[in-house]
Amino acid sequence: MSYELIAILMFLSMMVMLITGQRVFGAIGFVATAFALALWGTGGTEMPFSAAFKLFNWYPLLTLPLFIYMGYMLSESGIADDLYRAFHVWFGPLNGGLAIGTIGLMVVISAMNGLSVAGMAIGASIALPEMLRRGYDKIMITGVVQAGSSLGILVPPSVVLVLYGMIARQPVGQLWLAGVFPGLLLAGLFVLYIVIRCKLQPHLGPPLAEEDRRMPLAEKLKLLRAGIVPFLIFFFMTGLFLMGITSLVESSAVGAASATVAAIAKRRLTRKVMEETLRKSLGVSCMFMWVILAALAFGAVFDGLGAVKAIESLFIERWGLSPWGVLIMMQLSYLVMGTFLDDTAMLVIVAPLYVPLVISLGFDPIWYGVLYTITCQIAYMTPPFGYNLFLMRAMAPPEISLLDIYRSIIPFVLVMCLGLALVTIFPEIALWLPNQFYGK
Amino acid sequence: MPKPIKAFVRYVDAVNRTVGRFAMYLIFVMMGVLLYESISRGIFDSPHIWVVEVAQMTMAAYYILGGAYSVQLDSHVRMDLLYGRWSTRTRAIVDAVTGCLLIFYLVFLLYGGISSTQYAIEYNQTNYSAWAPPMAPIKIVMTIGIALMLLQIVATFFKDLEKAKGEANP
Repeated sequence: MSYELIAILMFLSMMVMLITGQRVFGAIGFVATAFALALWGTGGTEMPFSAAFKLFNWYPLLTLPLFIYMGYMLSESGIADDLYRAFHVWFGPLNGGLAIGTIGLMVVISAMNGLSVAGMAIGASIALPEMLRRGYDKIMITGVVQAGSSLGILVPPSVVLVLYGMIARQPVGQLWLAGVFPGLLLAGLFVLYIVIRCKLQPHLGPPLAEEDRRMPLAEKLKLLRAGIVPFLIFFFMTGLFLMGITSLVESSAVGAASATVAAIAKRRLTRKVMEETLRKSLGVSCMFMWVILAALAFGAVFDGLGAVKAIESLFIERWGLSPWGVLIMMQLSYLVMGTFLDDTAMLVIVAPLYVPLVISLGFDPIWYGVLYTITCQIAYMTPPFGYNLFLMRAMAPPEISLLDIYRSIIPFVLVMCLGLALVTIFPEIALWLPNQFYGK
Repeated sequence: MPKPIKAFVRYVDAVNRTVGRFAMYLIFVMMGVLLYESISRGIFDSPHIWVVEVAQMTMAAYYILGGAYSVQLDSHVRMDLLYGRWSTRTRAIVDAVTGCLLIFYLVFLLYGGISSTQYAIEYNQTNYSAWAPPMAPIKIVMTIGIALMLLQIVATFFKDLEKAKGEANP
């Protein structure tokens, strides 16, 4: 059997296993082990563990549990309540203003956390019920929360860029800075979409009623103080890291600790909150870690098959693609795989295949990291398989059905594809800031 | 469920809950070690060579020992395109079947873990770093964690079997 056929067979069996609804790590781990044994016999028996042990040496991945902990702590700490009030009052009078405010809120939260979990939890528990009560269109706002929270992995800090940096051996500081403007660009495009949509169909996002927004200017200004704590957290975490005072992993510990301090200061840190935060952090961290563990085994089999060379020869020799053709092909295939297969596993399996190719074609690996992350964001939102969808389903108020969630993301995915295209055509959007900062 | 199996399931659940709840607090150890280092190195300019590895080992213990408890908490994602629409019984039947495949994976994971631990003990393997800590302890912890995960999945398998039979004899 040719290696290409084996590779395709592996993906197909993974897909079948996933469809049975078995836990993702089990589905992927089984396929990897079975193929390792079939290909290498007794030589494959120790592969699952040796692949899993690779994770031990992925030191930067310590940021993952710490950011998860921090995300839950932030959503419990009540920082978000104050922030939401500020955005609510300032943007409320506009058509669709609360939706715009929610995007703003999500950008601020993304700047404090490296995953979309925090934004999702805060969006679903604070912003969604509030907007539903004010007669906003439920499909539009569900999309707003999903798209907005997905910025968590693009705006620094970002765990996806940490993973990418580890696989591609690129400095995380540069990657994080490269995510700043694309993140803001996407947020801007989301806002633009909401403004246009609500101009055409004002009933989707009615402005706040007169009595709701009567508030003296002094008080309005006072609300802006809600931004002080997030700014401090951002400074202590990302700021100190970029200044070179703390290391990457240390910065996530600083972030986790400062979120805890903020919760104590707000007198929100009860026994129950602590228990919930710790338990959920363990659950989500273990879920991600075991998926990565299994995906590493899958990747090891792939590596053994010589998949990197195979893809290169397929794209360049067999199909005769130009460098740009290869790049577009890679993004498209990643989008499709991320839609139907497990997103986190794809990140671990696909990046080692594509990154060497990207570098050998002469593209900037930092810039590609940003493209990769945006693609990943889209994959996380697209059914049938997407972590954001799972989280949303678990957290959304009961009146929002599964179909609503699926339909809500369509316009935002299109907007994100536009953003992806813009960053692809104009690499400066991503590269300007790191080049300025590190003076290339 | 025959009595010995029932006892086994109850026992595994209880042990893994205790171990998992212990692992849950390891996040404070990671935070503590890293904060200590960032102050010590960032402010007092005196770095420690053991920080990275201690943090790494704590994290490995965190997710490996916490694994079985996270299965109890049902934190692991599943693709629920079809799964979400099935009855509890159908789910139990399918889970029991695919659970065997998961056990297959974990058995080999455990096998690799044991053989790697043996190697580490026999040759006194140390990590390739300045501090060079022995690797046996963390490998033993990981192997135990994988074994606990395996026991948990076996226990879950028995629970699924029970549910699959469920409607016939409640």
